[in-house]
Amino acid sequence: MTNTETALKDAMGSIEGALGVALVDYGSGMALGTLGGSQTLDLNVAAAGNTDVVRAKLRTMEMLNIQDAIEDILITLGGQYHLIRLLTGRGGSGLFLYLVLDSRRANLAMARHQLKRIETELEV
Amino acid sequence: MTAAPEVLAELQGLRARVPHLTGAMVASTDGLVIAHLVAGMEPDGVAALTAAALGVGARLTDAVGHGGFRELLVSGEHGYVATYAAGPSCVLTLLATADANVGRLNLEARRAGARIAPLTGGPADRRERAPVPPPPPPSRAPLPSRPGHRPGNNNDNGASS
Repeated sequence: MTNTETALKDAMGSIEGALGVALVDYGSGMALGTLGGSQTLDLNVAAAGNTDVVRAKLRTMEMLNIQDAIEDILITLGGQYHLIRLLTGRGGSGLFLYLVLDSRRANLAMARHQLKRIETELEV
Repeated sequence: MTAAPEVLAELQGLRARVPHLTGAMVASTDGLVIAHLVAGMEPDGVAALTAAALGVGARLTDAVGHGGFRELLVSGEHGYVATYAAGPSCVLTLLATADANVGRLNLEARRAGARIAPLTGGPADRRERAPVPPPPPPSRAPLPSRPGHRPGNNNDNGASS
């Protein structure tokens, strides 16, 4: 079991092409922790914006009567991948991990696998 | 205030951008309403209460050595009341429902506060907002008494009457 800080460091260090990572509470839209990012990538802005993405998807599923849970959401940009992975473990509900990848350097399958491992080990 | 239409336009923009926003108001730090978008309540009362909360907030940050006032977030059972500095003499107060995206509320309100500051005569603000200076030390004025409660009889606990 790892804590938030270790999980974020793990994501930045072990996932090839990682540009930034955040652990976000989609109840409030605020980040519990962020690592990486840059002048042009403000992870707190990303946390608030992607909270709306997650909420919209959950609402859509509710309207479609889909009795299921979101495992992850992938957003493909021209030069980046954005991965959102919802936490499932105890104490983790209402949170998601948000990972920004450089698409030229990242291996999407590997990144997704690594993020799943980090999410399972994470205890908030 | 001649700037009121521009300030009001800023509030309208804020309401369009932030879902779950139920009210918005710009008031001076001494509790006078400059522009508002609130329905179903008295804006003057809210502005006056904001000024009181602001006084305590500013004194608190000053007392612990954290500098001037920036923001105040109060979470109630059914929603949030958030106050943000908008230049040295004005504040932006927002009301939002309990399921509001507070992260987004903060981001939008900080930007709006920075835009409102020059409109209300404050300095055109760069990245930092000009902090509200801490108010003078409290005069020992008595707190307003509740209706039906006799003032000046503070130590009665119901047994003496």
